[in-house]
This record gives sequence, structure tokens and C-alpha cells, in this order.
Amino acid sequence: MPDNIAKKILIVEDEKELMFGLATLLKSQGYLIIAANDSLFGISLAHKEKPDLIILDLGLPAGGGFYVLENLKNSVGTFDIPILVLTAQQGLDLEEKAKQMGAVAYFHKPFEPELLLSQIKEILNKSN
Amino acid sequence: MPKQEKTNKIDCKLVMQELKENPYKQLNIAFSLMVIVPFLVFFYLLINKLFTLDVLIGNTGFILAIAFFISLCGYFIVYSILKNIFNAILTYAAQAKHSDQLKSTFVATVSHELKNPLSSIKINIYNIFAGLIGQVSQEQKNILGLCQSTIERMTRLVNGLLDLHKIEAGVIDVKRNRLNLAEISGRQIKEFQTLAGKKHIKIIKEFLDESLSVWGDEDKLSQAIVNLLSNGIKFTPENGTVTLRIYPDDKFVKLECIDTGFGIPDDKIGLLFNKFERLNATKEGTGLGLAITKDIVEMHRGKIFVESQVGKGSKFIIVLPRDLRSIRR
Repeated sequence: MPDNIAKKILIVEDEKELMFGLATLLKSQGYLIIAANDSLFGISLAHKEKPDLIILDLGLPAGGGFYVLENLKNSVGTFDIPILVLTAQQGLDLEEKAKQMGAVAYFHKPFEPELLLSQIKEILNKSN
Repeated sequence: MPKQEKTNKIDCKLVMQELKENPYKQLNIAFSLMVIVPFLVFFYLLINKLFTLDVLIGNTGFILAIAFFISLCGYFIVYSILKNIFNAILTYAAQAKHSDQLKSTFVATVSHELKNPLSSIKINIYNIFAGLIGQVSQEQKNILGLCQSTIERMTRLVNGLLDLHKIEAGVIDVKRNRLNLAEISGRQIKEFQTLAGKKHIKIIKEFLDESLSVWGDEDKLSQAIVNLLSNGIKFTPENGTVTLRIYPDDKFVKLECIDTGFGIPDDKIGLLFNKFERLNATKEGTGLGLAITKDIVEMHRGKIFVESQVGKGSKFIIVLPRDLRSIRR
């Protein structure tokens, strides 16, 4: 039985095909998946469910990924949840900005699924 | 703090186009009116020894009034020229700003609209291939493998196009740091050892001065070196060599990537740095690598050359200035 059985991951992503793919991949590793398709729903789910990790897209409707990041990192109940940013947006300062705001990892789309999995494992091990 | 420069510059020719009439010609006329006519009047008064207020009366007074009027016309023309120049510069700046915004929007839109679907296809194919959706036969795996290679090629193409667009549109920030070229090249050589090993190609490091440094952007120069090494390995048959040589040359640093590959025919060398130019269609590639490399080198006020002999190999030479002052020139 995988040791990550109880870990809960929130995916905040508006591309439903990508969300489906990510959920399938992560479920296969024994993670429990919850999902939101816009910024406000993402913030609300993070507060309610207190996941162990959040995978966050930057180009989101209803506020955008940076809004979610800022909100969660400034809230007492969610500031310590590690956030992994996954984005198709290009910009020299985006990664720096996301990390300054508290993101623990930054992935450019399209990403390598194995690399994402190993990064998630590492983050969750550290947060233990 | 690393210094960053925008690659955008004001183009004087474009500003001149905004000014429908040549300001230099107008300035000559204005100068004649402002200076020469009053000077001639003053000279007339001088030779006639007319230095009292009486000159304001009669014919001389009339001549002075005309001279004063002509001089005023000159000042008015100068005022118009300056006004037009300022207007042209402001219009140009506004257009440039708008154009930059359009280019940035294009990059952001292309990134989002192409990379998101690519990610979706990639992860879902990965899931099927890995058997996460259900059992997959070997034949199905082969087909999925082909799809995965196509996705990788599409990803490289999209990334290459975006890089090239950003460089050519001037919407890219270039960091200026003092960089040790040998260190950067050494790191890239390590990255390529596995790939070279698969083809039994030996990568030879010839750094004649390991302390050589240039002013530039590490990520971009690394990308230029990666492109050269990758091409060298791709176009060199098994058991060949790829040599990366770095040495000083007066105020410049030269970086040479020499392979023992197939070589390039003379009539094709001129096409090498064109976008989408793939001289050897049997080898995988986007045809953008060398175009991007050339843009990166030129962004650093450098030059790139190529020497090649069919059947013997090719030598790509990057020449970069060592001094920041020559970069700013």
C-alpha cells in the first residue's frame, strides 16, 4: 500500500482535459484528489478541505493564479499549505514572482509527468 | 543586481518618416531668415554709419521693419520644426509602445492557447501509455509512442517560435552579468555526455583560458551553446568527435564548435541561419535552432560564422566582445 494514501491534493486548473489527466495520474499514485476550475472556488476549497498540497494554474478565471496564491499565503488557515505552480504563461519574472509569493515549485506546461510526480513526492515528504 | 536592457531602440529613420518634410532643409531656410537677413541689414547700417535712432524713420526704418519681420518668420519656422519633431517622437513612442503591447499579447496568447492543449494531450497519452486507464497492447503502445514523439516535436516548435518571436520583436529582457564562458560551456558539455555516448561520439573540451569572461545573459548564451552542441551531435556519425574550443582573441572571446559530421555544401551555407531551414530533412529538428542562436549572439553584439567541408565536418564560430563598453556601443 502506498505511504501517501492519506495525502490530499487540490488541483486548481480551468482546462478540464488537463485536470482529468492530472487527476488520473495522481490518483494512480494513491493521492486523494479534489479539484476547482476557477480562482474563487479554489480558495474556498483550500480553506474548507485543508489539502496537503495545491497544484495551481496561473491563467485562471475569476482572479487568476497570483490572486489565489496571495490569498492563501496571507490566510492563517492556509499559509502553510505548499503550492506548486503549473503554467503555460511565459514571462521572465513570473517564476520569481510566484516563488517570492510562496510557491514551492514552478512547472512550465507542457511538463514531464514523471518530474511532476517526483517533485510532488519530495514536497510532501518535506512537509511531513 | 543584474542589469537588464530592453532590446528596443528608437529608430531615427522611422521618426524621420513621421516628419513628412525633411527638417534639415527647413532648418536651413529658417537659419537664413533668422540670421543672414538681419546680419545684412546690420552690415548696411554699418557701412552707412547709421547708428542713431534716426534709422527708425524713413526708408531705413522701413528696411529695418521688413528685416525684423523676416527674422520673426525664421523664428516661427524653427518653432514649427521643433514642434513637428517633438510630435513625431511622441507619435513614434506611442506606436512603439502599442506595438510592444501587441507583441506581448501575441506571445501570451500563443503560449496559453497552444501549451495548454499540448499539456492535456501529453498527460492523457502518458496515462494511457502507463496503463492507468486500462490494459494497453504492445501495438497500441507503439502508436502512443509515436504520438508522444510528435508532442515533443510540437513542444519544441512552439517553444522555438516563441523564443524567436520574443527576440525578434524585442520584447525580451536581456540580463547583463559577467559570465565565465568556460564554466557555462562545461556545464552544457556534461548535459550532452549521455546523448553523445549513445552515438559513441566524444565531446572534446579545449578551453585555452578557463578564466575568460563575457558580459551577457547566462540563460540565453547557454541556449546558444546547447543549440551548437546539439546540432554537432545530431549531424556527426557514430564514433566522431565534437570539440568545443574557447580562446581569447584581442578584445573578443571566440567559442568554436567543431564536429566531424557530414558537412554543409557551399551553396547551402548561406541558408543555415534562416528560419525553418532544415538542410537535412532526415534528421529531426524544427529548423529554428540556428536562427535563434544567431539572434542570441547578435543580441550580445557578437557574430556567428560557419566553415564547412562536405564529408569532413563543420565549424561554428561565435565571437563575443569581452568588454561591456563594446556591448553598449
